[in-house]
Amino acid sequence: MNGVNGVTRVAGTAPHQAPSPPAVTPEAGRLAARLGYWLRRPGLVLSVLVVGAVLTAAILPELFTSRDPLTGVPAEKLRGPSAEHPFGTDQLGRDLFARTVHGAALSLRATSLAVAVGLVAGSAMGLLAGALGGRVDDVLMRCADVLLAIPALLLSLAIVTALGFGTTRVAIAVGVTSVAGFARVMRAEVLRVRGTVYVEAAHAAGARRHSVLLRHVLPNAAGPVLVFAAVEFGAVVLAVSALSFLGYGAEPPTPEWGSLVSEGRDYLAGAWWLTTFPGLTIAATVLAANRIARAWEGEER
Amino acid sequence: MARSRRRTALPAVLLVSLLATAACSAAGSSSRDGGVGDAGEPRSGGELNFALASDPVCVDPHQRATNDAIYPARQLVDSLTDQDPETGEIVPWLATAWEVDDEARTFTFTLRDDATFSDGTPVDAQAVKDTFDSVVALGAQAALGSGYLSGYAGTEVVDARTARVSFEAPNAQFLQATSTSALGILARSTTELPAEERCTGNVVGSGPFVLDEYTPNVSVVQSRRADYAWGSSLWRHQGPAYLERLTFTIIPESGVRTGALQSGQVDAIGGVAAQDEASLAAAGFTLASRPNPGLPFALTANLSRPLPADEAIRRAVSLAVDRQEVVDTVLSPSFTVATGSLAHTTATYTDLSELLPHDPDRAAALLDDAGWVPGPDGVRVRDGEELRLTAMWIPNFGPNENALQLIQQQLRAVGIDLRLRTVPLPELPAAQEEGDFDYFWGNTTRTDPDIMRTAFSADLRNIYRQPSGTPLQEALAAQNATTDPERRAATSAEAQRLLVEDGSTVPVFELTTVLGVADHVHDLDFEASSRIRLHDTWVS
Amino acid sequence: MARFLARRIVQSVLVLWASFTLAFVVLYLLPSDPVAIMAAGGGEASAVTDEQVAELRETYGLDQPAWRQYLERLADAAHGDFGQSVANGEPVGRVIAESLPATLQLAGCALLVAALGGGGLALAATWVRRGWLRQALLSLPALGVSAPTFWVGLLLVQLVSFRWGLLPAFGNEGWDAIVLPAITLALPVGSVLAQVFAKSLRTALAEPYAETAWAKGASPARVHLGHAVRNAALPPLTVLGLLLGNLLAGSVVVESVFSRTGLGRTTATAVNSQDIPMVLGIVSFGALVFVLANLLVDLLGPLLDPRLAAERAERAVPA
Repeated sequence: MNGVNGVTRVAGTAPHQAPSPPAVTPEAGRLAARLGYWLRRPGLVLSVLVVGAVLTAAILPELFTSRDPLTGVPAEKLRGPSAEHPFGTDQLGRDLFARTVHGAALSLRATSLAVAVGLVAGSAMGLLAGALGGRVDDVLMRCADVLLAIPALLLSLAIVTALGFGTTRVAIAVGVTSVAGFARVMRAEVLRVRGTVYVEAAHAAGARRHSVLLRHVLPNAAGPVLVFAAVEFGAVVLAVSALSFLGYGAEPPTPEWGSLVSEGRDYLAGAWWLTTFPGLTIAATVLAANRIARAWEGEER
Repeated sequence: MARSRRRTALPAVLLVSLLATAACSAAGSSSRDGGVGDAGEPRSGGELNFALASDPVCVDPHQRATNDAIYPARQLVDSLTDQDPETGEIVPWLATAWEVDDEARTFTFTLRDDATFSDGTPVDAQAVKDTFDSVVALGAQAALGSGYLSGYAGTEVVDARTARVSFEAPNAQFLQATSTSALGILARSTTELPAEERCTGNVVGSGPFVLDEYTPNVSVVQSRRADYAWGSSLWRHQGPAYLERLTFTIIPESGVRTGALQSGQVDAIGGVAAQDEASLAAAGFTLASRPNPGLPFALTANLSRPLPADEAIRRAVSLAVDRQEVVDTVLSPSFTVATGSLAHTTATYTDLSELLPHDPDRAAALLDDAGWVPGPDGVRVRDGEELRLTAMWIPNFGPNENALQLIQQQLRAVGIDLRLRTVPLPELPAAQEEGDFDYFWGNTTRTDPDIMRTAFSADLRNIYRQPSGTPLQEALAAQNATTDPERRAATSAEAQRLLVEDGSTVPVFELTTVLGVADHVHDLDFEASSRIRLHDTWVS
Repeated sequence: MARFLARRIVQSVLVLWASFTLAFVVLYLLPSDPVAIMAAGGGEASAVTDEQVAELRETYGLDQPAWRQYLERLADAAHGDFGQSVANGEPVGRVIAESLPATLQLAGCALLVAALGGGGLALAATWVRRGWLRQALLSLPALGVSAPTFWVGLLLVQLVSFRWGLLPAFGNEGWDAIVLPAITLALPVGSVLAQVFAKSLRTALAEPYAETAWAKGASPARVHLGHAVRNAALPPLTVLGLLLGNLLAGSVVVESVFSRTGLGRTTATAVNSQDIPMVLGIVSFGALVFVLANLLVDLLGPLLDPRLAAERAERAVPA
């Protein structure tokens, strides 16, 4: 999806240097080779750690902090980062680290929902287009073109206008903008797989069209589509947090990554940590997710 | 009908004046004259760029009630009378004299004969009649004015210079109301327009400035009238305003407003954020502040909703709020804790702080007794229903969001789950009418205690769904029906007590207008209700 | 060429029509009751009685069946009439026209920054010989696409405006006020350009003619700038066409971070007050920008690469 921050759809699909897959070695050397693969890519290792930590925070925030993200100690407001409050405290004395950690749950839930919307709707669209071909293909793919003609952020803003504000609605709005990308990838895969020998063989053996589609085409097309989902992940995090920054997400005091940054705006001159840390968290997550997606994309090719 | 001359005749007004004087002088002296001092002889010419904290939404002085809408609107219109910010006394402006009958039902104004609207038409008795008729016709859309004119029987054009306004019932607050911009006199070319058209910029008044352009969410631009010569008797000088041009730039983010002032992009800003006061003062800017009279910032219950209809819940909410903590955490030392239904600078204000303690234990006990038991996540539950209240609020005052989040936290400590619902400014009237909220968070500025009737009368807009026939309704009507100062004070005090006693309104803090002003701006004055007056303002 | 142009224009009009239709479906058919949204958003609806709702329905033509509303709105839109803002009654077209210049200025500057910065980075990365430096330069764009623009903008304000006091933190006045917003808006676009351009430069440098030029004794600079850039310019140009719409959309965030006035701010306000006709107008305008940008890129393409003219026939509308 070509989100607010750009353009990562183009970035994601743009060619790049694919990390070379682990060289094939005898059984004994395989483990060493795999280890070597990771050792040669410290950035990838770090990315996996970052994404792992963020996902854990989203599911089990208590592992990271025992503080309440919603209740603070007003007397301790606007304290800078310290051992006690690694990210400092906000204008109501709430622990910013706790708010960022708990914000991961909401922001990643929205991201997952958005990717799921794009994945399911887009794949269905691409599968139908690729499998049925002809006029259906034409119509569906022109629809996808149109979805891409409206700048993604404007399209999600239109959907938010119609549906109203809130985390779930923002997620749906962002998800819709990635439908076209998924549809294209799925269609391309379906066309590729359809032409392969075993699918033709299955047809020749008298298998019905939809069973061929479900048994052979879909599983083989799924890989690249899932890789595309990984590529989309980072862009969707950005799009969701931008809409939340603009104030279309959850009502206060619910912490979302984007709204945390926007809450810190009024204190920019005095309390730099309020915008810096949540923003850094978003950037690190997106960077790590993109790095992983690129590595995976490289292996898939 | 016995008529009497003004000043000797309207004891109620005098009382209001005296009380306001006492209250204002108690409020601190830093605010005199807007705090921006003398620097030689005033100079004519130049431009003032004032940053507003929110979009006026509508430039018609009759339609909107937010301070940011009134700041520009106030400069466009003149009023029949003016109110002395020091003494509270009502003094001549467009009207040179007035008579009020003993019952406060008939008000006869004698107009000066030289005032004209900016379209050239005269400010005459017919214009007064057209103005008041149109305010009544606006109904609920004239958020304040329709209440000031309640019971309006009509305006009689006695002759070109004499207008007689009469009411079906006594209306003691009306004279003070004529000093507000909500009843500012507009030309016929404006009053005959539909409400929406006036909002976008078709406003013709007789004020010292003329509207050039209003661009929603961007700016309001005004220029001075060279032939202006009918200023209020309170003003420092007569004749045209000193400033040639006024630009009100709309900058919603408080940090950006402060930055704009510091970098010289604007000359003065409204709504200085608490966290910016110290740095502005240190950088040599003047902080002009004046406490606003009227209704303090409060959570006010919508009585038509099942939960806030329950007195135990309302009182628990009031007991759970720690007002001092709100002021200490999200506001600056310029602000004070609310101590009653009215701000302490409002006429007939009564200190009710003993009815507004912070006592979470008693709040919890009240809820326990009412059958609300703590649920698994700390929110109280009764018969499977959670104790969840929705507070509706508008982003017209910077600290609102933080104040509400803190109150939310305080209520949560006694097991009440307060949900917040922001309403964009343009949607406010409709949302209030719709009534889909348990509490509304907001304030209203006025020097006269009748502002309580505007907000709570069952016969007016009644956004809080107050039932009629209650002692409160009687007290609200009574304070406006009497011209006897003692009786007015007593009935007003009764209404103030009733409002907080059962938690119908939970006052939290009083608004203080805090402006940041660059040192080349002089004589930026406050009117009686703490809004800015720019006729005497000049730049060096 | 003329036939190609005619075909592309017809295609563009079709895409525009379809975008309008999509936006109409989203805005008018998705909400359960657009009247309720408009009534809430409209200043004129302070008392929402049944009659007033009926009146509003009539005013906005919502009492008619969806297909008729659609046809009427489409016919109006074809003449550039997008109706009136619900929030303040101003014609949508005029509001867009009035707020557009500021945004065009911002987007233009951002485009310049993105092209110079992204292009420069790609050139530098293919130019340098030191491996580690090249790697470092090549990894910069990945950072650029990962950082949220609103955060980058606030960081710049914090450092450049507040800490160092070098540039204004907000506003539209003066050329110095546009620097930070333009950089912020340019960052994601420039990063993508850098990625695409670096890749196509590397391909071009590896091609036989580059080798030939080397062999003939052309200076490295001449090979690099003269031959390779010309041959490598098409992919980034195509991507740029796709990204122009994003500059427009990105202004929603950037203008609100820097408190600038312009179309982005107008958009945010319209969404806030659920001003449906306004949002429809802006979305359609966004599609127009996208379509025009792609048309332009298609026309410029053959100037850079004559081989393109031949391939033309097969190209689909937008990518």
